[in-house]
Amino acid sequence: MQSAPFNYRRLIIWLGRLLLGGIFLYAGFSKIALPNKFYWPLPMLKFSIAANLSNFGYQVASYKMLSPGGVNFVSHVLPFAEVALGLLLLIGWRLRIWATVVSLFMLMFLTVVTRAYLLHMDINCGCFATPEPVSLKKILEDSSMALLAILMTVFAYQEARKPHPWSAATAQQQPS
Amino acid sequence: MIRRFVLASVATMAFAGLGSLTLMGAPAPQKAAKSSARASRSSAPPAQTSITVDGVKDIDPDKAVGSRNAPIVMEVFTDFQCPACKQLYLTTLQRVTDNYADNGKIYIVHRDFPLPMHAYSRIAASYARAACHIDNVKCQAVETALFDNQEKWEINGDVKGTVAAALTPADMKKVQALVDSGALEPLIDRDKQIGQAVPVTQTPTSVLHTKDGQTYPVVGYVSYDVLKTLLDQLVK
Repeated sequence: MQSAPFNYRRLIIWLGRLLLGGIFLYAGFSKIALPNKFYWPLPMLKFSIAANLSNFGYQVASYKMLSPGGVNFVSHVLPFAEVALGLLLLIGWRLRIWATVVSLFMLMFLTVVTRAYLLHMDINCGCFATPEPVSLKKILEDSSMALLAILMTVFAYQEARKPHPWSAATAQQQPS
Repeated sequence: MIRRFVLASVATMAFAGLGSLTLMGAPAPQKAAKSSARASRSSAPPAQTSITVDGVKDIDPDKAVGSRNAPIVMEVFTDFQCPACKQLYLTTLQRVTDNYADNGKIYIVHRDFPLPMHAYSRIAASYARAACHIDNVKCQAVETALFDNQEKWEINGDVKGTVAAALTPADMKKVQALVDSGALEPLIDRDKQIGQAVPVTQTPTSVLHTKDGQTYPVVGYVSYDVLKTLLDQLVK
């Protein structure tokens, strides 16, 4: 069996999975486990996570887009969703579905950050645990990630329509 | 051989010249804020400006709330121009003061930690500290006014006007005299040094100290309901 031929679409998919999967995983982890790091005993761990999510909730609220209930929901769900999406991308299970979800997330983040920048809001991005102001640099970073996510998704769908190189090669080798 | 030596010397001088040109174009070091410059010329800080409670040193009693016999000492490092500090002060700290400090369960120490990127936070800290040295009620009034109107004075720089609106003319005169004398600037510098030793990496940062010597730094904004879980645990 010969190895799969070089394919730039598969390269982009791999890059997207590794980069975006890693970034999402770290983003979710940092919102849950940083900057407060009391990991033991259990009550302190619970406090630490609650404090970090509270801090993230403040950052979500500073965008002034959601009601208090919405802020509460996003601050408690989004970090865990990011961790799950990161793991799913890295594992590669049902890639087309989760790549599509990640692309939608990235477009949403890009929209929200761009809106904050255009409104001259002096707030933190809330992307990771460390404070990062909303700036043109952040918009460019998010744009690149969104572009990578979209390409990864599109190529994943295109590659899914083709037979796998290994099965295609095996079919050629088998006598008719 | 000589040619190589000459070429090497010319190249070295050229790089050194380029390097010095780059340095000349580098931004000049920021001048210290007026209030800091005043600190170097200021007179000694007022007496009784430093106490120790449960191992926590260099506490300015005029910037502290609660009983010194409380089981927990909570240092809160804030910057008056920081939005998260505003949220912490107006929502969480007010309730902590009402429910814990006033009941002798916690001794809250306000530490100033003006960040270099905030142009007016230092002068705001100076005015707030001066008000605190006059009267506790005026202290709270000025701090609340500064945080309430943060969005206005951070743009127009009118810290003095914001403080004046919260005080009577007579009190404002006393506060202004203290600010102008610079006598309290070393206390702000001291708070900053204490914060850097923690280290405080962002504001707000709250550091809780228990009587048995445990220290719990809480970084960032934290809601009252979440902080309450920790306080109740530590107070037991």
